[in-house]
Amino acid sequence: MENLATAIAQFAGLEVLVAIAIGCVWGTLAGALPGMGTVAALIVALPFTFSMTTEASLALFLGIYVTSVYGGSISAILINTPGTPQSAATVLDGYPMAKAGKADLAIGWATISSLIGGIFSLIVLIIAAPALARVSVAFGPAAIFALILFALTCIAWVSTGSAIKGLMGGMIGLWLTTIGPDDLTGYTRFDFGLEALAGGLSLIPVLIGLFALSEVFQRAAYYFAAKPPDVTNVGFRLPPFSEMRQRVWQFLQSSVIGTFIGILPGTGATAATFISYSQLRRTSPRKENFGKGEPDGLIASEASNNAVTGGALIPTLALGIPGDGGTVVLLGVLTIQGVVPGFDLINNNPQLLTGSFLIILIANLIMFGIGVIGARIFARILSAPEPLLMGMILIFSLVGAFVVRGNPVDVLVAVIAGIAGLILRFAGYPIAPIVIGMALGTTFEGKLRQGMISAQGNFVEFIFDPIALFILAVTIAVVTVPVISKRRSKAS
Amino acid sequence: MRHSLAILTALALGLTGGAALADYPERAISVMVPFGAGGGTDVPARFFAAEMEKILGQNIIVSNVEGAGGTVGATQLSRADADGYNLGFMPVGTTTTQPHLKRTKYNADSWTPICMVSQGPFYLVVKEDSPIKTVDDLIAKTKADGLKFAGAGPGSMAHVAQLTLNNKLGINTQYIPTKGGGDIATEIDGGRADATAWFSDFNTKFGWRALAVMDSQRSEQHPDVPTLAELGYDTQVSVWFGFFAPAGTPDEVIGTLSDACAKAVATKTFADNMAGANRLVRYMPTDEFGPFFREAFELNGQLLEEAGLIKK
Repeated sequence: MENLATAIAQFAGLEVLVAIAIGCVWGTLAGALPGMGTVAALIVALPFTFSMTTEASLALFLGIYVTSVYGGSISAILINTPGTPQSAATVLDGYPMAKAGKADLAIGWATISSLIGGIFSLIVLIIAAPALARVSVAFGPAAIFALILFALTCIAWVSTGSAIKGLMGGMIGLWLTTIGPDDLTGYTRFDFGLEALAGGLSLIPVLIGLFALSEVFQRAAYYFAAKPPDVTNVGFRLPPFSEMRQRVWQFLQSSVIGTFIGILPGTGATAATFISYSQLRRTSPRKENFGKGEPDGLIASEASNNAVTGGALIPTLALGIPGDGGTVVLLGVLTIQGVVPGFDLINNNPQLLTGSFLIILIANLIMFGIGVIGARIFARILSAPEPLLMGMILIFSLVGAFVVRGNPVDVLVAVIAGIAGLILRFAGYPIAPIVIGMALGTTFEGKLRQGMISAQGNFVEFIFDPIALFILAVTIAVVTVPVISKRRSKAS
Repeated sequence: MRHSLAILTALALGLTGGAALADYPERAISVMVPFGAGGGTDVPARFFAAEMEKILGQNIIVSNVEGAGGTVGATQLSRADADGYNLGFMPVGTTTTQPHLKRTKYNADSWTPICMVSQGPFYLVVKEDSPIKTVDDLIAKTKADGLKFAGAGPGSMAHVAQLTLNNKLGINTQYIPTKGGGDIATEIDGGRADATAWFSDFNTKFGWRALAVMDSQRSEQHPDVPTLAELGYDTQVSVWFGFFAPAGTPDEVIGTLSDACAKAVATKTFADNMAGANRLVRYMPTDEFGPFFREAFELNGQLLEEAGLIKK
């Protein structure tokens, strides 16, 4: 309590409040713009922190970090384009809901889910950060490898229609990550001697192409043939309380999954959303509605990706080990401010930690407010004539693809991915599995190799880790039990 | 994390060629950092760029071009126009080990070293509760039942430190390559690796314990930590950061930048910023840094070749 009072005294001030507010507005906006994303939004703000106090820098950065994850859901719902990879799973039910004329309700579900996920993980962060940080380092290469294998099985649940087509998409995604510099040694692979491929494919330009550009191309194709479905009723509507109460269990599951995945270094929010989505799709009483605009699908994605923020801050603040891409930059800012996250922060600077918790709480509340007000502004933008709107998306997408790492080749990659995405849509292949494969491939391979080197090439020694074996057992059960029970019911 | 909005800004500010040298600099200068924003290389680079901006009176745009141990950015810079508007802030690994490890399209001849800006020695560290208390314990443990030494990718500076230790201490530790940074800490804290080479923030950041510092003298930050030389093993491994121009940059331009660098590292704000971020300033002027760089390039090449890391 004394700690809380010191923290409030240290943080209360106009500069800090202004910094949170700017951080939240910028974070939401950057999240909604395809290609900007969490990390890019943080980097844009980085130079400003040089002349700011430690408290204000933290406020600005945590504000951006928390809200950018939310911002991606807005474009996912309204224009079928996840603003960030963390919101790729939001598309699955968010866009169908918007097409059904319930865009305002979809935004409402996404916002309330984000708020619940964010607050849940904040509570876990406050109560158990040091203890859970110990858990996070117990997950060695073998355990993370097994966990990613588990996440990859989610492909089967996010593939609407044919599971085989989904698995093929997942394989394509995994293959795409093998292009370019090998994560462990840095040697260039599969570049076919092309300078353009030597740097590897970045996920974001591919994501922009597959979702945003292929959407634009498809609308262009339909524009002259038939009227595309309009997204109507854009705005903000809070879901009815009775419906929310029915879904307490889904909120809780998604928040727990997000927080837990956030704690583990190197997995991140994209993996969390898909694990959460497939978990709810397996267990929800409304599972047959998934993919058609079911609120549970939105909860699965948005509660879990915002829960990752608090989770990822646990090893970051307690151990100095970043939990995801955004926290890597956050660590950098703290370092510039002369604050060393980890051992010293927990032991000698607890009021800074308490202050961070307060900022995250306020940022989550501001995020909710932005959702309510911002949705009206988005409604105005979306009421622009379709060719104009599509032109805007095209420009933002191409600029976004370039901005990611300042590489002009990425623009070409986005266009090629856009054409590929269009073909896949017409051929009835789901797009999400490719994103899952790409988002997880690098870590999957890296952990396997790191663990194998450590075990001197002995796979049994590598995998003989209690946590890894447990996760593998769960994975096998999840994959085989439905098949076996189906056979049994057929036989009887 | 491979972002560089700065490049956009650079384009916006106009990269129009054909500048008259006499007036250098007369437009924005781009300083390439081959690692991510907020990282170990980026932080001193941004502090340094902020001072250079004031001294040169032109905007300096820090652009992060990440990937493959910094070689993606370094390759780009080596091909850029050598007109003084494309410069780089690069660490020892990117410039002196990576060219040997990979067939990079750049080598020691691709650069004109301008000045060294920062340097920090490696510490040989273990987890706080590790049974290894001294360097002798470490040698004994390695000889008895082996020792896992974690670090970044093969050929990284941590790997160079491990190879040097193996040579000097006459032991055979096993190297565990990771993606670096947090992944090294996860392996040490999780008890899956026994030791690593880390910088002076090993205790404040991770609560680790140092067995020795790989430097010729004890550091001011950790006066209790003995040097390896004191223990009878004369070996120094450090990570340094330098300011580079692509080879062929006109001498007058290098002269201007060299003078500016001397002023920048001497400013109070630079010293304060670096001290605040726990980084050590180490200045070496152009005439000293040039030969130093060449020697480091040759030495590290030899070391990696002896370790069998260079594919012929």
